[in-house]
Amino acid sequence: MSNREKLRDLLLEVLLLSDEEFSFDLNREQVETWDSLAVVAIAAGVDETFGYHFTPDEAVGITGVNDIIRVLEREGISFAEA
Amino acid sequence: MQSNSKANDVVVIRESEIRSNFRALDIRWRSAETFAILPSNLPLSDEWLDAALQLLPQAFCTKHFLLLTSGSTGQPKIIVASRERAEHLVEVIHRAQDGEATKETICCLPLSYSYSFVNQWLWSRILGRRIILTDGFMRPNELKVTLDAAHDAMICMVGAQVSLLRSFFGGRTFPGIIRLHFAGGRFPQEQLGPLKQIFPNATIFNNYGCAEAMPRLTIRLAEDADVAANIGRPLAGVELKSGIEGQLLFRSPFRAVGFIENSSFRAIDDNDWVDTGDLGCAGDNGMWILLGRRSEVFKRFGEKISLPAIDAALKRVWCGELAFYRETDSMGENGHVVVIAPHPEERQVKAILMELRRDFSRPHWPLRVESLQRLPRLPSNKVDTGALKEQKDLIVRWSQRY
Repeated sequence: MSNREKLRDLLLEVLLLSDEEFSFDLNREQVETWDSLAVVAIAAGVDETFGYHFTPDEAVGITGVNDIIRVLEREGISFAEA
Repeated sequence: MQSNSKANDVVVIRESEIRSNFRALDIRWRSAETFAILPSNLPLSDEWLDAALQLLPQAFCTKHFLLLTSGSTGQPKIIVASRERAEHLVEVIHRAQDGEATKETICCLPLSYSYSFVNQWLWSRILGRRIILTDGFMRPNELKVTLDAAHDAMICMVGAQVSLLRSFFGGRTFPGIIRLHFAGGRFPQEQLGPLKQIFPNATIFNNYGCAEAMPRLTIRLAEDADVAANIGRPLAGVELKSGIEGQLLFRSPFRAVGFIENSSFRAIDDNDWVDTGDLGCAGDNGMWILLGRRSEVFKRFGEKISLPAIDAALKRVWCGELAFYRETDSMGENGHVVVIAPHPEERQVKAILMELRRDFSRPHWPLRVESLQRLPRLPSNKVDTGALKEQKDLIVRWSQRY
């Protein structure tokens, strides 16, 4: 499974989204279930899935899926499309 | 303790003894000595029982009867009831449930369960109606034969039995059942359609009460409301009120006279408002609305979480069994875990999660959704919530991750 797929599955699970609702361009404002507790859950899921623990500033600064990818790519985790 | 052994002059009768010698119970009811009717397999030591019975005051050692109740906490409690009061209650409920046309009653619950004991055994004794004991869904084929042969019969069930009823008897009809009662848990309001198909001639009632009420407080016809939480109107003589914290309190001329719990006996005074253990409020037209068990409503991240409300929502998409247990999350907040049975397909888990998302904000969501092949149950048939997380086949289907 690619890192993109892993991240998509994680967000589907945490945010309770259907496959059709998800896109890599999603922003927090577009997702009702992306609340402050979801941020904690995403951080825990990213740690578990990718082995990287967001700093508090990173966690607070995430405004969409692309922000998560940006932080993780900065840590050397590739999200290049196959 | 063996059957018929005594402690403080209390005669102990086991459920198994009644089944082998049905007249034993009638003999005990007519004799002066107080007796206790207990499940066959009591999850308590003889020493505990002996010590508990020694606590019964002498004034209650005649003309009373004792039943064991196991609350959802699993803590044993012996309820001390007056035979005279119970007989009066039977007359009241017979009128309230329009029981005159009923010629017989079929037991598919243990008689040591206060609901079955009063509503069925004592009712049949006082009204001179036939009573048929069965092993319920332990022997579904025998139960089916009994239901097939029923004639103007009443049965008393708990909501948790409906999924078994539909599994074993879905598609069949039992026209000889004319009264169907539910008590001892959530009323299966959303199952009325299938129940009417199985029992086409039955008038269905939602009964509410608790062991301390010995055991009935309210009744309503199934069709008189469209939500399970509506428990109907109080029986004649029964008073209900909401306490300052929303707890549902009652006074009743039929209630238990005391109970033995935590190594002490406590009498219930006639003027006492007794706590049902539920939250409730007055509704329209003299009916009362249950808001959940006191232990089932709690605060999480400042929001009031109602497990009955979540239960009602999930039952719209999950037809199997469903239970909750409480757990504190990693942030120290109160939370809950949903346990469903039998093990679901992935699409069913998705449906449950989507229902949660549709109806509730995240604080109301469970910490986890777990599944079992079958929920563990206490002898009373209530879900053994204390044992849920100890089951070996438990599978985590979804988690909040924190």
